[in-house]
Amino acid sequence: MTQTVGEPGPRTGSRTGAACTATYVFAVCRGGDPATLTGLPGQAAGNPVRLLPFGSLEAVVQDVSAAEFGEETLRERLTDRAELERCARAHHAVIAAVAGSAPTLPLPLATLYLGDERARAALREDERRFLAVLQRIAGRVEWGVKVYARREAPEGPDRSATVAPTRTLTRTATRTATRTAARTPVRTTAGSAAAGAGAVDSGAHSGRAYLERVRGARQERERRQQAGLVAAETVDRALRGVAVASRRLRTHDTTLTGERGVQLLNAAYLVADGHEREVAAAVAEVRADPACQGVEVEVTGPWVPYSFVDGGE
Amino acid sequence: MTRAAGEPVRAGSGRLELDPDRVGRDLVCLVLTVVELLRQLMERQALHRCDQGDVTDEQMEKIGTTLILLDERMDELCAQHGLTRDELNLDLGPLGTLLER
Repeated sequence: MTQTVGEPGPRTGSRTGAACTATYVFAVCRGGDPATLTGLPGQAAGNPVRLLPFGSLEAVVQDVSAAEFGEETLRERLTDRAELERCARAHHAVIAAVAGSAPTLPLPLATLYLGDERARAALREDERRFLAVLQRIAGRVEWGVKVYARREAPEGPDRSATVAPTRTLTRTATRTATRTAARTPVRTTAGSAAAGAGAVDSGAHSGRAYLERVRGARQERERRQQAGLVAAETVDRALRGVAVASRRLRTHDTTLTGERGVQLLNAAYLVADGHEREVAAAVAEVRADPACQGVEVEVTGPWVPYSFVDGGE
Repeated sequence: MTRAAGEPVRAGSGRLELDPDRVGRDLVCLVLTVVELLRQLMERQALHRCDQGDVTDEQMEKIGTTLILLDERMDELCAQHGLTRDELNLDLGPLGTLLER
């Protein structure tokens, strides 16, 4: 994500003087309107965000302190989630503002050059690629679609039947119940006898009953995983139908998705501008699809086509 | 990781946590994750053996009982260290997670 473009020679950080500035490039655009940039804080409030022409295009740039954006310092800053968020939001705010007035190709967060001349020279080398990408994304927007497995997966009614009234429940069954049961002294035969007639039966075959429950839980999990995959594919297929291009991104870890279930699909779709209704219709359709009842579909957009600037498909 | 050792960091900031207690807990978590992985593999192996039909009813009962004890022991170990089974896992990136969820 961090892309420090520069010469292999002297490092940005080791250059002398705090007054030394670097050129931060947000995006490349064609025919951008400088008026849209006024007042944007960018990555260094106080320094204006401006257009830097190169070849037939313009770069959206800002002077930033080279010390603050040195390789080491920057890596340090971007490992801090709060700081990373702040930088990403500032980056996005500028890109969104420019994109409102001209075809815009967002560059990765923290694209830096040692001054305007370096930036201009390096960007000019990539001009043909930029033009190709701009042509592809012009008049198109990105929609992000994420599919999550529902937290409370609907457990089959047969489930309660397979879970015999013994103290050990399978892993997928409520763990709290297991723990409470482990602490309470139901280990005695009197206790299990009191638990009901079923306990006598399961007491005789508790080992086998346990194996059966494990098997049941495994099958249930496999079924759920399979259903999740089918649902993700269904969503993907429906949205590809309205999209010009699509990309499957890496799914997020549950520590990031928080309260939600496991992320099954994280995809981006490049859709013609103004086709919000088609996207909404496709989403409504998959939400109603019986194959997608166990999942939650989250849609965000329209975005500047961040996911489609690398050439891709 | 260019961070100097011993530098305090905020919890949950996504940075390396170098608080000694925390490191101890993380180590326990890692060890228990490996134990849990082995336990799950044993369960899977047991089911596989049973499916093949070369296990007598008595043996099956014995295997099942052993697995119950193992499962309970895992719960106890987790409780002792203030962990839940859900916390025992490793994110393997594109490969998913180490343990099934």
